Amino acid sequence: MNMRLPVVLLALASSLPALQAREGLNLFAWSEYVPQKVLDGFTAETGIEVNYETFSSNEEMVSKLVAGDGDYDVIQPSDYTAEALIKQGLLAPLDLAALHNLGNIDPAYRHLPYDPEDRYTVPYMSGTVGIVVNTAVVHTRIRSFGDVFQPRFSGRIVVLNDNREIVSWALAYLGLPTNEINAKSLAAARPVITRWLKYVKVFDSDSPKTPLLNGDVDIGVVWSGEAAILWNQDHKFRYILPSESVHRFIDLLAVPVGSRHRAAAHRFIDYVLRPEVSKLISDEFPYTNPNGAARRLLSPAQLANPASYPKGGNLETFRDVGRAASDIDQLMTDIKSAQ
Amino acid sequence: MSGRGQRPGAGAWLLLFPLLLWSLAFIVAPTAILVVYAFCQRDEIGRVVFSFTLENFQRVLDPVFLRIFGRSTAYAALTTAICLLAGFPAAWHIARSQPRTRNRLIMLVMIPFWTSFLIRTYAWMTILKQGGLLNGLLSYLGVIGSPVEFLYTPGAVILGLVYAYLPFMILPIYASAEKVDQALIEAAHDLGAGPLRVFTTVIIPLTRPGIAAGILLVFVPAVGMFAVTDLMGGARVMLIGNVIENQFLAARNWPFGAALGVAFLGMFAVVYALLARRAKAA
Repeated sequence: MNMRLPVVLLALASSLPALQAREGLNLFAWSEYVPQKVLDGFTAETGIEVNYETFSSNEEMVSKLVAGDGDYDVIQPSDYTAEALIKQGLLAPLDLAALHNLGNIDPAYRHLPYDPEDRYTVPYMSGTVGIVVNTAVVHTRIRSFGDVFQPRFSGRIVVLNDNREIVSWALAYLGLPTNEINAKSLAAARPVITRWLKYVKVFDSDSPKTPLLNGDVDIGVVWSGEAAILWNQDHKFRYILPSESVHRFIDLLAVPVGSRHRAAAHRFIDYVLRPEVSKLISDEFPYTNPNGAARRLLSPAQLANPASYPKGGNLETFRDVGRAASDIDQLMTDIKSAQ
Repeated sequence: MSGRGQRPGAGAWLLLFPLLLWSLAFIVAPTAILVVYAFCQRDEIGRVVFSFTLENFQRVLDPVFLRIFGRSTAYAALTTAICLLAGFPAAWHIARSQPRTRNRLIMLVMIPFWTSFLIRTYAWMTILKQGGLLNGLLSYLGVIGSPVEFLYTPGAVILGLVYAYLPFMILPIYASAEKVDQALIEAAHDLGAGPLRVFTTVIIPLTRPGIAAGILLVFVPAVGMFAVTDLMGGARVMLIGNVIENQFLAARNWPFGAALGVAFLGMFAVVYALLARRAKAA
């Protein structure tokens, strides 16, 4: 018979990942955050294939996690999201005896409020959200959110496409606490955000550096790692911690309760905790490395990158706000659609 | 040979079975799930809770969402109109070419499908960005003094949509146009009809099925598209596809996203039914 049909069917089947038997380790992590080298190194050493699926916001990750049948083995929530997942009983306690390299984590990143006993999470990378200015174009001094969102920069601004972030900037600008999200604080933030968003040209959480590099915008409010990459490309991109207050985030590794490959998950986490592996992450995605042993392997230039290791700043962390998360979304949809 | 009007036999059912299974699994079942979800509630973390509520549909009637419905329809209608204006002459020309040329031209229409849609969209971004190819060319030719903002504008969104869906207009019109008998057009000319008259009374009616299919194939997906608005519009313009995507991901509100989807589906089903009835009456 026709021999070509089976070949075509085979090609079709292999192009449909959903139909393939999911073997190995299913990693669900932020886009632009896990170097291919790390995944390849892990597979070369253990023989465990890693399926790397990405998300671009904590909310997206949680949505897919609770909808799925627990197909993920390692996930990468941020601090406040891990807190919510722990509260809901969606994370499995870690087998600390299997994590030999846990001691490499800097003590400053242990026993934090989202997971006080470090039972469920291991820090992956940390960072801040700050302002990037292309100083070749913008010559005025920018120090705060108030300085960024001005009519003179209309159409020249990129911001993260992340509603919780944007609301937190407005709250910081108003001098209100980051984590008190209620009808009153959102009503106060509304006119500020409405005014600000008129000036924004691009909303992008995955790669906000791109419009800055392309020259489509001159100012951004972005993840520090993105700013660090920009600084490495060209020192004209300066990173500034907003004077009002700065969101500091810690992204974590955790194992969901539904994981079917827990041993592999622990091996992966332990592998990432190795100083030389963690350094590879810093090389490619220059966020703040919470792994003290890895930080000692970094070059002076890496440590001197003002976006990776900023000084000072009035640092704030997000806490889980429960149902108010959907009020934030409603507010932002309202504002954006009215523009 | 079985005559017309006869009830389908076992053999016919067997042949129909794959199609029925397909429709059941990929059209009926997901839509049913969507309808059920639309009447459900959600818990704090975003899981669907099966307790009945009409709240989601009440929220759909909020003027904000009606405005977004309106805007999405306008974007999709404009996209469809441009696709029709650009696609019809192209399809007609291809259909009237020599068979050899015709196959090559159809191939050219199809080739972009060999590359991922997202990659082609990123290619457009490279062309349109401020330091991009288009601005470079225009300033080299002296047409513009300073770079023009092409990317991250509503115009870029329309361009992206037209680019994505143009082949879906060309292909069905081509299929209709290919069947038009040249003799009919010549006969119309012989009987004294001018080019415009031939076009409106002969060509348009004969290619109407292709035009109708093309309009549907462009309008329906364009109205729900969200990737183009995010990438080429800088996520500034919110269309209904973006809002629904947000409900399922960022807002973790599946029931409300489902309600928006169901309302949307219902609206277009009604419009389609009305149009179909009018077409029948005409």
